[in-house]
Amino acid sequence: MKETYRNGRTAFLFILPALLLILFIVFLPIVLNLYNSFFRWNSFEAGKTFVGFDYYIRLFKDPVFFTALKNNSLYAIISLLCQVGGGIIIAAILEDKLIRRFQPFFRTVFFIPSVISIAVVGLMWQLIYNPEIGLVNGVLNAIGQSEWAHSWLGDSKTAIYAVVAVSQWQYTGYMTMLFLIAMQKIPMEYYEAAMIDGASKINSFFHITLPQIKEMILVGCVITVIGAFKVFDEVYVMTFGGPGRSTEVLGTMLYRSAFRNDEMGYASTIGTIIFIITLTLSLIQMKLGKSGQEVD
Amino acid sequence: MRTKILIVFMLMLALVITGCSSSTSSNEDDSDKIVLKFLHKWPQPEYAPYFEEVVKEFETQNPDIKIKMEAIADEPIKDKLRVILGGSEVPDIMFSWSGEFARKFVRADAALDLTPYLEEDAAWKESFIPASLQPFSSDGKNYGIPLRFNGKFFVYNKEIFDKYGLDAPKTWDEFLDILDTLKEEGETPLMLGNESPWAAIHYLTGLNQKMVDQEVRMNDYNPRSGKFTDPGYVKAMEMLAELNEKGYFMDNVNSSSHDMVKQMFFAGKGAMFYVELEEFQDVENALKGNWGFFPMPSIADGNGSQNYITGAPDGFIVSSKSKHPKEAVEFLKFITSKENSLKLVKDIGWPSPIEGATNPDTALKQVAEGVDYMKQSEGMAEWLDTDVHAKVADVYLSNIQLLLDGSKSPEEIIKEVQDVAKQVQSEVE
Repeated sequence: MKETYRNGRTAFLFILPALLLILFIVFLPIVLNLYNSFFRWNSFEAGKTFVGFDYYIRLFKDPVFFTALKNNSLYAIISLLCQVGGGIIIAAILEDKLIRRFQPFFRTVFFIPSVISIAVVGLMWQLIYNPEIGLVNGVLNAIGQSEWAHSWLGDSKTAIYAVVAVSQWQYTGYMTMLFLIAMQKIPMEYYEAAMIDGASKINSFFHITLPQIKEMILVGCVITVIGAFKVFDEVYVMTFGGPGRSTEVLGTMLYRSAFRNDEMGYASTIGTIIFIITLTLSLIQMKLGKSGQEVD
Repeated sequence: MRTKILIVFMLMLALVITGCSSSTSSNEDDSDKIVLKFLHKWPQPEYAPYFEEVVKEFETQNPDIKIKMEAIADEPIKDKLRVILGGSEVPDIMFSWSGEFARKFVRADAALDLTPYLEEDAAWKESFIPASLQPFSSDGKNYGIPLRFNGKFFVYNKEIFDKYGLDAPKTWDEFLDILDTLKEEGETPLMLGNESPWAAIHYLTGLNQKMVDQEVRMNDYNPRSGKFTDPGYVKAMEMLAELNEKGYFMDNVNSSSHDMVKQMFFAGKGAMFYVELEEFQDVENALKGNWGFFPMPSIADGNGSQNYITGAPDGFIVSSKSKHPKEAVEFLKFITSKENSLKLVKDIGWPSPIEGATNPDTALKQVAEGVDYMKQSEGMAEWLDTDVHAKVADVYLSNIQLLLDGSKSPEEIIKEVQDVAKQVQSEVE
């Protein structure tokens, strides 16, 4: 007993550095952020004024906050459909016997966008969307659909979809890659058995592939949904929340409050809300993930 | 066993501590020299050499001072300045826009009062065009030293104007007539790249000034007393919206960037373009004398003075935390000396606030004329987005795009401006 106790103490000493790091780098900032959200302060002035829950009340009355929430949700939904849904379909096609020998080529092509820096991607898509010289309107004009030609990023109704579309272009290939890896782990015998039983390819996709990669689908969903609520750089580079406030997301709203409007307290409030949203989503995921394991 | 645990523990502690300790030895090798940190906003290869040469010359003349220069571009410096000023490594000399942008640092006691230094050296003070020092002052004290004196003017393509027998307008009605003629002839009358909305805000800067009585406007722009209830503000926005509704602006203003539109104007695709004096050199390079300019025309029923020019100086402030304020001011004196101002005008074509530095011999003819306009004006209408409190500016900036795409009316926007002005009033002591 005494020996195990001692080992326990040694073990504790060994995890202590990691524990300290997590405490100081993860948990302390969360607590400090919460504390800061109760004060009116900015980065260059010394004093802080206590305002209590004022910023929280203001946030829930702020129409921009709801625009941002709506845009983040839109981001999450579209990303789920395109990156997770589309990723699975593309992966399944690439895994098909007929196409498999071209797979390395397509895999590389689809994956390339996700390794390009977001600043480059943003500038490139700004040009692609440009109403005068851009590729999108050029193609529309060339196929005789000039009435569809549009100022994609300049119109407050289409701007958010234009920004979301860029993220899909960039990350669907990444998701495809994850699903490919998962699919390659499925034993071939399942498919052979299904074939002997006369199952069509569609049937074996639904009854073998999907159940077998369930864990990866969950991981993919979590990555995209949480990513959608933390999105910042795509919007910052392409529209910075404009035109007007139509493409504002929680991340850009936080940045604007902190570094343009000198309201660090309000920014901290938004940060706390982002934390609550992503924490809730993670908890839901962890619960779903566990139930998945139990079925196995 | 116990000693083993102790050793393990101490090793780990040592690891953590060495990781956290900050190195304080960075400045030691220059310990006998005074180190001044200098932050400006021109990292571009066409401008940076000017600053490098001036700094080098200053260091040769003052061997006991070393200047550590850093440059951050226009857009990021708006955020960086705020963060840097809160940190412990504050530069001694920093770029700042004039007006409220500098005044918020004054309110936070982050900017040093430069009045005594200016009083001490009357010759230095008098070398500035008076209108260039004023926007950097607060409650009668000077907090900033201007480097450039920038004004906003309409430049026009002479070829297009001559084709239809048009002349530079004096009044707003003449201006509208010209726009109408150009529109009917199938030209694009006005170029505007409003992807970054300061471009349209510069129009509104002049319109607000011309429509609203000076005293009322200054009260409203002051964060402590801003109300924005004067009908002139709505009228100003209506006039801007009218330019767009009548199709005088080019298409897709909100998704075109200023720089891209500039290239289109240089290629002859539009008749007029609203630019700053510092861009005149580019215009000359592209259009080779085939252009003219005029200030924003006067408005007959405006309540503000019609003899104002839109524009403002920008320059440098000194940190109140600076350990060497005297040396910092010494450097500012050096960079604004007649000699270096002439060099500024000659090398990079910027208008200088130093009396006589921007003359037809050193500068482009049009730049010198532009500075004359500013000298003869009654005053300057400073950029709306740096002259009002940041939160009010933010409301204006984000809504001006919606005004131009027609999704918000001037009345709706001014309501938002009034609300945020009220909020600001309650927060600024």
